[in-house]
Amino acid sequence: MREAQNDTVGTELPNTNFDVPSGVVLFGKYELKRLLGVGAFAKVYHAITVDTRQGVAVKAVSKSKVVNGGFAANVEREISIMRRLHHSNIVNLFEVLATKTKIYFVMEFAAGGELFHEVAGKGRLEEDAARFYFRQLISALKHCHSRGVFHRDLKLDNLLLDENGDLKVSDFGLSAVTGQIRPDGLLHTVCGTPAYVAPEILVKRGYDGAKVDLWSCGVVLFALTAGYLPFNDCNVTVLYRKIYRGQFRFPRWMSSDLRILLSRLLDTNPETRITIHEIYQNTWFNAGEHRYNPVRVKKSECVCAESQTGFNSLNAFDLISFSTGLDMSALFEDPNVSDSVERVVCATEPENIIERVEAVAEEGRVVVRREGNGGGAKLEGQDGNLIGIVEVYRLTEELVVVEMKRSEKGGECGAQFWKDKLRPLLLEFAGEREVPVSGDFCKI
Amino acid sequence: MGCCCSTSKRTGTPGYEEPTVLASQTPCEYHDPSLNVTVSEVEALHELYKKLSNSIIEDNLIHREEFQLALFRNKNKKNLFADRIFDLFDLKRNGVIEFGEFVRSLGVFHPNAPLEDKITFAFRLYDLRQTGFIERGELKEMVLALLHESDLELSDDMIESIVDKTFSDADINGDGKIDQDEWKAFVSKHPSLIKNMTLPYLKDITLAFPSFVVRTEIEESDM
Repeated sequence: MREAQNDTVGTELPNTNFDVPSGVVLFGKYELKRLLGVGAFAKVYHAITVDTRQGVAVKAVSKSKVVNGGFAANVEREISIMRRLHHSNIVNLFEVLATKTKIYFVMEFAAGGELFHEVAGKGRLEEDAARFYFRQLISALKHCHSRGVFHRDLKLDNLLLDENGDLKVSDFGLSAVTGQIRPDGLLHTVCGTPAYVAPEILVKRGYDGAKVDLWSCGVVLFALTAGYLPFNDCNVTVLYRKIYRGQFRFPRWMSSDLRILLSRLLDTNPETRITIHEIYQNTWFNAGEHRYNPVRVKKSECVCAESQTGFNSLNAFDLISFSTGLDMSALFEDPNVSDSVERVVCATEPENIIERVEAVAEEGRVVVRREGNGGGAKLEGQDGNLIGIVEVYRLTEELVVVEMKRSEKGGECGAQFWKDKLRPLLLEFAGEREVPVSGDFCKI
Repeated sequence: MGCCCSTSKRTGTPGYEEPTVLASQTPCEYHDPSLNVTVSEVEALHELYKKLSNSIIEDNLIHREEFQLALFRNKNKKNLFADRIFDLFDLKRNGVIEFGEFVRSLGVFHPNAPLEDKITFAFRLYDLRQTGFIERGELKEMVLALLHESDLELSDDMIESIVDKTFSDADINGDGKIDQDEWKAFVSKHPSLIKNMTLPYLKDITLAFPSFVVRTEIEESDM
């Protein structure tokens, strides 16, 4: 089960038509350090960015294979998909570079190397350790599947570790680049690495990407806990027969709960195979110390609390910077899916505003998270998707500006909540212009 | 590394060429190593530029109406600030934003661009009459424009007091106008003022407009 890190089909001979030596600086930006792996038509390098010295992985893919195979449209589509996948257990794609002959994918570098080494060093993993990685794998899978993205080539070789020892799944959403989807979009090519391939792929009918990924997860979980692959044979025909019949034997040390989960994952019938939802209910999956491995918030997403507390006050230039004419991000956005912002000025107490937003959110079963120093709140739907952000700024001693930003990520429920609850509340605030204390000059 | 088209006759300042010549050139000819962007990023920007510059008049040049259309989804919407940005982007002052100008100007908005450049750009933006100072009258004019644009109503007294307060904080030497140094000091106290000068989109622009990966003509040897 051992192949090049981070790479695709490793059964074919490595393409030697790659002449990017280590030490070369790609596009003036990435200094190649060493070769990490070689695949059928790709090479993966460890590199560092010249200016920030940040470590990255650069995957160089031969373009002729991709383009001649008719995958060009898929490459663009998949890059767009990858751009939207952000999960702490998925290798992030930073940027893509290209020449006439090659495409370079610049990705997060998994400093902890391959999970394979962990297993190889110990022979096999204890069930608790395997569960730790399996939960992270399923969490990553859930994130992608809910966005309609399937891996289709899950195997131990695609599971990497970061510097903290957390799992990073690589090559998500890049199946066209790695040569697995046919140009017609139908998934009936024999893809995936033979030992991890699901039986329904072998019969060459169309298949469900989600089910196929779960089968591969079963093979991975088996390999982690057994120390060897469930289906293995030097003869590919024999191997395929074993997979097709679902012929494998549990080693004696496996717990019965784990056996139950594995039989449900390695169910040859995709219709009755376990779903991600069912995995989250599974006994073995939920055993051990912590039931769910919470997804950590990335460092870059942490908003550092500002030194001053309470509500930020606005000066004249802050007001000006609200102008949509200064927001160049509109140039980059799809006109059909842009977020919107509305602001009102009112004389309501800032704390009172946030409390009323929280009350409305509670009615609508929306989660409110206070931001920064309490002057703002993030609203999230039941599915964890961002609905909008409310912020309150002090304009003068009496007046505040309430800003509501709507996010397109909130989907239909978010839009409904915005329309029925938040906007009416905003208009209510707008009407509250009378200053409660004896303001003698506050006729606005 | 180098530009793919080392033979191209670049004339020092990007955007110096005649527009007709410009339209026929390949995007990578506008790649300038000093801009700190890769050729691929320039090519991805070109994909965006093609969209913006042909939305109304198909001539590969961004006209003011096309700029307004992209910002406001409305080609006729006038906006003081958008006008200022357009004028600053239009380095040659010929009424259109050419690709070279587009790349060079957006460079300031890159998350990795020097803070100094962003502060200077904002200063020039707010120096409406280009006197080298932001004057009180200009500040008030801009506040009024913003209030009008966003349907926010404030009494004149209120506006005066907001402008006064800001001016007294920023105009350190009290000469009634904000100069470059005063602006720098004011921005360092209020860093959120130049938030608009950074576009996170530029960080992964190659992922946002990936169609160049198939089309690019850049030779491997140039890398």
